[in-house]
Amino acid sequence: MPDFSRLLVPDKPIYNPKMPTIEIKNLSKTYRVYQKQEGLIASIRGLFHREYREVHAVKDINLTVEEGEFVAFLGPNGAGKTTTLKLLSGVINPDQGSVQVLGHTPWERENEYRRKFALVMGQKNQLWWDLPAMESFRLNQHIYCVPKDEFERTRDELCEMLNVTNLLGRPVRELSLGERMKMELIAALIHKPDVLFLDEPTIGLDVVAQHKIQEFLKAYQQEQNNTILLTSHYMKDIEALCKRVVIIANGSIYHDGSLEDIVDQFSGDKIVTLQLHDDRSLEAISKIPNLIEIDAPKIKFRVDRDGVGRVLSQILAEHAVDDIVVEDPPLEEVISNVFSQAEEKSRREATHSNSR
Amino acid sequence: MAWAVMNWGLFKIIYRHTGEIGLDSGWHEHEFFIFLGTIWIINSLIQTLFMANAAEFSELIRTGNLDFALLKPIDTQFLISFPRINWSQLPNGILGGMLIAHSLRELMQEREIYFSVFSIPAFLFFIGCGAVVMYSVMICLASTSIWFGRNQNLYNFWFYITNFYRYPMEIYQRSGVGMALWGTFTFVVPILVVSNIPARILAQPLGTPWKSWEWGLAAYAIIGSLWSLMASRWVFKQALKSYRSASS
Repeated sequence: MPDFSRLLVPDKPIYNPKMPTIEIKNLSKTYRVYQKQEGLIASIRGLFHREYREVHAVKDINLTVEEGEFVAFLGPNGAGKTTTLKLLSGVINPDQGSVQVLGHTPWERENEYRRKFALVMGQKNQLWWDLPAMESFRLNQHIYCVPKDEFERTRDELCEMLNVTNLLGRPVRELSLGERMKMELIAALIHKPDVLFLDEPTIGLDVVAQHKIQEFLKAYQQEQNNTILLTSHYMKDIEALCKRVVIIANGSIYHDGSLEDIVDQFSGDKIVTLQLHDDRSLEAISKIPNLIEIDAPKIKFRVDRDGVGRVLSQILAEHAVDDIVVEDPPLEEVISNVFSQAEEKSRREATHSNSR
Repeated sequence: MAWAVMNWGLFKIIYRHTGEIGLDSGWHEHEFFIFLGTIWIINSLIQTLFMANAAEFSELIRTGNLDFALLKPIDTQFLISFPRINWSQLPNGILGGMLIAHSLRELMQEREIYFSVFSIPAFLFFIGCGAVVMYSVMICLASTSIWFGRNQNLYNFWFYITNFYRYPMEIYQRSGVGMALWGTFTFVVPILVVSNIPARILAQPLGTPWKSWEWGLAAYAIIGSLWSLMASRWVFKQALKSYRSASS
């Protein structure tokens, strides 16, 4: 009797819903970059002898993302955020490590996988420049094999959510940046991807357009429960959308946790603003260390997190205070500190490994 | 179109000085103009369907916009090969067809030409083989953009390579260098075969029936087309593995 059981064993792993949606293990990507010297002679010399520098864009990254998570990827320019998203979407091949997204290895570029995700890049344009966005949507409908009824329903819903129905017939080159980004989002979502990679989708947009896109992404993710990885330099995006933040610097993950964790862990201070009853108090308190600004009758200063209670009770005992506000430092400031610390750590590690 | 007319004029002048290109090759004036018309048709097909797309491919790599083609659940080579049709190059092909029709009529008044019901379908089929081989050459050339970052000389390379397929293969068979070129462009990059076979079907420079080596070349044109297509696909896939995606 022939053994048919082997035929039932799939060649490729089938995605198990209990598996994480994204699983990254020891992922690394290094670019060899030509170091061109200035001038004609150096250019001619470059024909015979070239110097290269190795750029470790992604270094040994491990990360797991569960279904329905909205994760922010934060890091300074050149940290490796976009490279990671390109690796996850299979645009480029890694040097080492493994990635499984919905049970697929991205760089194998299987059509089945490519139908399940979308990548939106704020600085690149996938729509046909000279044609109305509607034509690009229609092309995507055919490429992604979306049935006509479903396509029309999804397109109308998305257009309504983003308020761009009246712009569908206008050539893309005539749209504003904000309108174009909304169209890019619709083009990317027309096939209802399970996983969405967003690379700085709000870059260059005004606050109103930024806010609209944030609201849309929040509502869309809640409705579809898809998994989203977002990179952005705007902290408002992160605050509005992401519960989990992964900080990446010099190609390595420096921190992975909630936004509150980051503020607690990396910001040792609180900012206190007092509105004082009289000028005498203002003058007395103005000698306090870590003063930020005085805007009579208000005074703003920084206090160590653990010492807030002590400092305030001392001031309240000695002065008449009309109003008190105690708040965390601006998120931008905290993140900037984290980036500096992360870069300093990488520099130290690099120096250490070079000296060995 | 002006280039085609100048090309025709040049060979008209050459045939004022000689009755035949190559000794006993059979490529007299009307036979040669059938050959020239065939080349114009193949060139026109390539330039209408693929040339602008190959140039655009180089630009997609330079700007990093190839990313979007790689994301789509569709064959990437297909997607980058056919997005645009450059209709302005089609008239050269029509002109080629007219030149063939005129030269064939003139030729039939001079001597007997054998036609069967298969002649025109066979001619069109081998034109298709020609287009496949030239497309494959173009894909290989365009793929080099992935390794070099950009390829501004695509048109120049194309011109240099296609220079060798614009003439009957007999002109190469008289010297060592010529034989090397003939061997290269027949067996390695079979562009000579795919331009010569369809032209020979109509012009019949050595008369009918075909010689056995002509049948052999026709069979090789089919194999060479398939081989070129597979080779170009391999080169394209290898190149994609090295794609770096321009920084955003």
